[in-house]
Amino acid sequence: MAPRIDHYDWTGGREAMLRFGPDTGPLLVAALPLFEEANRTRTFAVTLLRVLATRGIASVLPDVPGQGESAAPLATLPDMAEALAAVPTDGRPTYALGLRSGALLDTAAARRGRWHFAPQTGERLARMLRRTWHAAGNSGPQPDPVEIAGNVIPQAFLASLGAALPIAADRIVRLTSDPEDADRKVDAAPLWRRSEPGNDPALVEILADDIADWLARCEA
Amino acid sequence: MQPQPLTGVDPQPVRAAALLPEGYDTVETTVRAVLRDVLGLSADRVAGFTATTPLFGALPELDSMAVAGVLTEIEDRLGILIEDDEVDGEMLETFGALVEFAANKALV
Repeated sequence: MAPRIDHYDWTGGREAMLRFGPDTGPLLVAALPLFEEANRTRTFAVTLLRVLATRGIASVLPDVPGQGESAAPLATLPDMAEALAAVPTDGRPTYALGLRSGALLDTAAARRGRWHFAPQTGERLARMLRRTWHAAGNSGPQPDPVEIAGNVIPQAFLASLGAALPIAADRIVRLTSDPEDADRKVDAAPLWRRSEPGNDPALVEILADDIADWLARCEA
Repeated sequence: MQPQPLTGVDPQPVRAAALLPEGYDTVETTVRAVLRDVLGLSADRVAGFTATTPLFGALPELDSMAVAGVLTEIEDRLGILIEDDEVDGEMLETFGALVEFAANKALV
């Protein structure tokens, strides 16, 4: 089932959004990780939302301002949260689905529940960005804004990222290789670290089952 | 049983001496798995890595961007912190050097 291409408006402008599954019932609002990890997980996330749609579960995958197809400059974390809160719900119960640093973004909307996969703190992401900048042969103080692997990032954003923690989730799933606490651990490779973007249909099935069961419990 | 220092984000020092042999194997297994996962290498290929297997400059998959991913994933899995000024060509020269660097961080 192909996703429908849609959009949503927020006070800062208009952003693109993919829409999956039925037009009624609970709606999952998915948030991809920021920056390079979004490229590495997009195919996986879209496959997951497609599989959920075949099970009758509806979802949207909105761009946040400054990421994906967005023409806007990189927004602050609070603005990204405001944008996600402006995704129209049409009175349907909504749930947040956060992948990696996507768990830092959907913090302003009143969701009925939140499900996170391998959530990452802002501090870890900021560290990875700084290391990527160094690995590219840079040294000394960073310019403002700084370009890291093609992303133009204001220093103020990096500073706010350093203090950002994932919003509390009702269910957290992580990889077995991740020592952090989780409600469930699954054995798979971290697609978000892969040099070459990939997909993992077996992991999609495991997570789709987990999300479907979780959603059914929440809606019961 | 896994050695305690490797399972948390905040490893406890001290007991390194008693745990060293087993702990060193755990670190080596972890580094091997990280190279497989981040660089997309086959399990067979990384299983063949020895202490003298050259890494940076010898593996085309390990470019400067991938170095950042490898180090960050090792940090996450072992619960250690690697400072940017500790990263040099020497620690990435061979598989053995990378394992030893990570073991010194995780076990001491």
